[in-house]
Amino acid sequence: MSGVVRLALFQARRDRVTLPVWILGITVLGFATSSAVATQFGDEAAQAAILTLAASNPAFLFLRGLPDGTGVGAVVFFQGYAFTAVLAALMSTFLVVRHTRTDEELGRAELLGSVPLPRAASVAAALLLGAAANLLLGGFVAAGFVAAGLPVPGAVWAGAAVGAVGVSFVGLAAVVAQVLPSGRSANGAAAALVGAAYLIRGIGDALGTPAADLLHVSSAWPSLLSPIGWGQRSRPFTSPDLFPLLVLSTAALVLGGAALLIRRRRDVGASLLPQGDGRERAGAGGTSFVGLAWRLQRSTLAGWCVGAAALGAVAGVLGPLVTETVSSVAPLKELISRLVPGGQAGLIDVFITALLGVAGVFAAAAGIQAVLRMRAEEAEGRSELLLAAPVSRARWLGANLFIAAASAALVCATAGAAAALGLGVSGTPTGAGGSLVPAALAHVPAALVFLAAAGLAFAAAPRLSIPLGWGMLAAGLVLGEFGELFGLPVWLQDLSPFRHSSAMPVEPFDPVGAWGLAVVAAALAGLAAYSIRRRDLTA
Amino acid sequence: MNAATQSVIETLGLVKDFGRTRALDGLDLSVAAGEIHGFLGPNGAGKSTTLRVLLGLIRPTSGTARVFGLDPWADPVATHRDIAYVPGDVSLWPNLSGGEAIDLLTGLRGGADGTLRRELIEEFELDPRKKARTYSKGNRQKVALIAAFARPARLYLLDEPSAGLDPLMDAVFRRQIDRVSRDGATVLLSSHILSEVEQLCDRITIIRSGTAVETGTLGELRHLKRTHFRVTGLAEPARLAALPGTHGISIDGTAAEFDADAADLGAVLAGIAEPGISGLTVAPPSLESLFLRHYSDRNGSGVK
Repeated sequence: MSGVVRLALFQARRDRVTLPVWILGITVLGFATSSAVATQFGDEAAQAAILTLAASNPAFLFLRGLPDGTGVGAVVFFQGYAFTAVLAALMSTFLVVRHTRTDEELGRAELLGSVPLPRAASVAAALLLGAAANLLLGGFVAAGFVAAGLPVPGAVWAGAAVGAVGVSFVGLAAVVAQVLPSGRSANGAAAALVGAAYLIRGIGDALGTPAADLLHVSSAWPSLLSPIGWGQRSRPFTSPDLFPLLVLSTAALVLGGAALLIRRRRDVGASLLPQGDGRERAGAGGTSFVGLAWRLQRSTLAGWCVGAAALGAVAGVLGPLVTETVSSVAPLKELISRLVPGGQAGLIDVFITALLGVAGVFAAAAGIQAVLRMRAEEAEGRSELLLAAPVSRARWLGANLFIAAASAALVCATAGAAAALGLGVSGTPTGAGGSLVPAALAHVPAALVFLAAAGLAFAAAPRLSIPLGWGMLAAGLVLGEFGELFGLPVWLQDLSPFRHSSAMPVEPFDPVGAWGLAVVAAALAGLAAYSIRRRDLTA
Repeated sequence: MNAATQSVIETLGLVKDFGRTRALDGLDLSVAAGEIHGFLGPNGAGKSTTLRVLLGLIRPTSGTARVFGLDPWADPVATHRDIAYVPGDVSLWPNLSGGEAIDLLTGLRGGADGTLRRELIEEFELDPRKKARTYSKGNRQKVALIAAFARPARLYLLDEPSAGLDPLMDAVFRRQIDRVSRDGATVLLSSHILSEVEQLCDRITIIRSGTAVETGTLGELRHLKRTHFRVTGLAEPARLAALPGTHGISIDGTAAEFDADAADLGAVLAGIAEPGISGLTVAPPSLESLFLRHYSDRNGSGVK
């Protein structure tokens, strides 16, 4: 056992920068949310107003979660829990895969396999480190809430809920790492499961039943399929319940145990889904930069498109359904008719618009990921082989930016098409069906800005490009999604490219915003092409 | 200047700093057209850095580098047109097969010679359908070598190309070097193994701590080719110092250690022989010991 602990400490040392950044980042987000809610919704009337508004709007329920009564703590949990849980889950899956499958793929596990420790020792150590990290995260989140003035018991329960979601994903990722042959595929699959957990909780919550006072909503059954949904059921600030957290911890134990069992029975480097042989010759296009970029990106892109399709389908199929549920509640119906022009049909549009906005975030993320792939190519020494050929660096960059832009467009188009298809299947006459693909594509220009900015980061500061690229997306999201809540100045909020996308179909298309974004993206890309010529290749 | 004596590679006072580390410290290197040039040095001497500068992948801090008369940093595309490169540490795309990687790398240079590609895959005994993730170090090396040799080039830059190859594959590699050399190509081959360079190369440059410390033909560097002797059980070890071609003798009781020039080996062997000898160790000249003996006094540190 002491060997496992030593291994876990060694892994913690490797993560001495990464983990604190995750934990502190999540804590700061929680703290900022609580302070903002305390200032903006200080009195009960304001709290009741925002909760009622949310209960009447399935898009709100889908994105944020369930209103659970008044009180600053309850409103904070409703506003911030789902995002916090997603971040905790991602921290956990990346942590586990990094120390298990990635180590194995890169041959480090072989070196460790030669010391007198059980075969599954590194998996056990990663599980241990994951549990410790989430314990710490829970503590920090609770401390952040307390610092923001929330009641102590509720803050501790809320921290525990976030930590419990993280722990359950520690177990899940450990199993995924046994199934898939490479760190990249395991990371992708585990992150997709986090996305699915958020999506399924969103469906369950959007289909939820509002209470008579409109201050509470109880979720429908799909939320029970999602660890994030279970964490939400702990209701920290209203009536704390230990049972959901026990469910999550038990799931973590069972999954972790299964991963240990699989690892003990398999060869080093082997996986439940084995690595097949490839083709003997490159296919058409397999001898160009664009072909290579496409080849490297296509499976990740398929993952993003599946996510976008699920999102679109939820919008199209579920939109009419949830709005009908909401409208059947008499007091809500009145509220909606006051708030949303066009009544129920208008409400469907609001729901679809919100979900297409999320698809726009997916598109930006897919684009950034495609661009940052170049950094992996460079750091792992493959770009050295490529750039020894008589082809310019600008062309290499251009090919990758092109594939990244095409990925963003494809993700948006997929979401729009799935939403239109869903509306058709559910037979809702809103008139919006045909225009949903263009409505989704309205989010492409913002995605272009993000991916071009990631390209410039790669060209100018290669070693920082990965944190910079994702950090810019996180900053854009916080400014765009939380900016108003935090009461940030408008000019600061307007720095987020997301703020300049047209929220179609609710809003009309804004050509000025779209062209503005496109011009900024083109300028950033041009600057990147100029800068990349001027630096050393850096490992 | 005619083509035979024209320099394909010419560097003057090349300096490259990485932060506070000086990787190249005024390196002069000259490689003539058509020659096989050995670039010899211990780990960390600056061999790979030099090759990267020659490819324009990194920019020298000062000094000039010319390949085919062009500045590789200013005009990498034109410089690379006739270069084939094999890096020291070959990293491939884990989810691409070896065959796909070969087609990609040759495709970027204008496409492989189909017959050559087939023959090379056969000779190097590579299974081109396997995903690169499953390849060993030697197999990754083969992929890079096949990609380099499957399309004719005027200059081959090879960074420790035979590391990871077994003796059979090493022989295949040597045949390829012979072939491209017969076709008139220039080869710059970096290595830390003296014997490898000896067998293949016309001229040699020895680099240490970023500086060229010796350069010349094998004959001119004859003084580097010394065999190391250790003899025990000698009645009068000091007499060995009088033998022709011995250098750096050290005596410890009845044991003696010294180096001998290749030309005088016969005389040395005859001179050693005496009835009481209890042990004799003869080691071929290793680069590391040469560095320790010949250069440890220059620059002080830098030798492990």
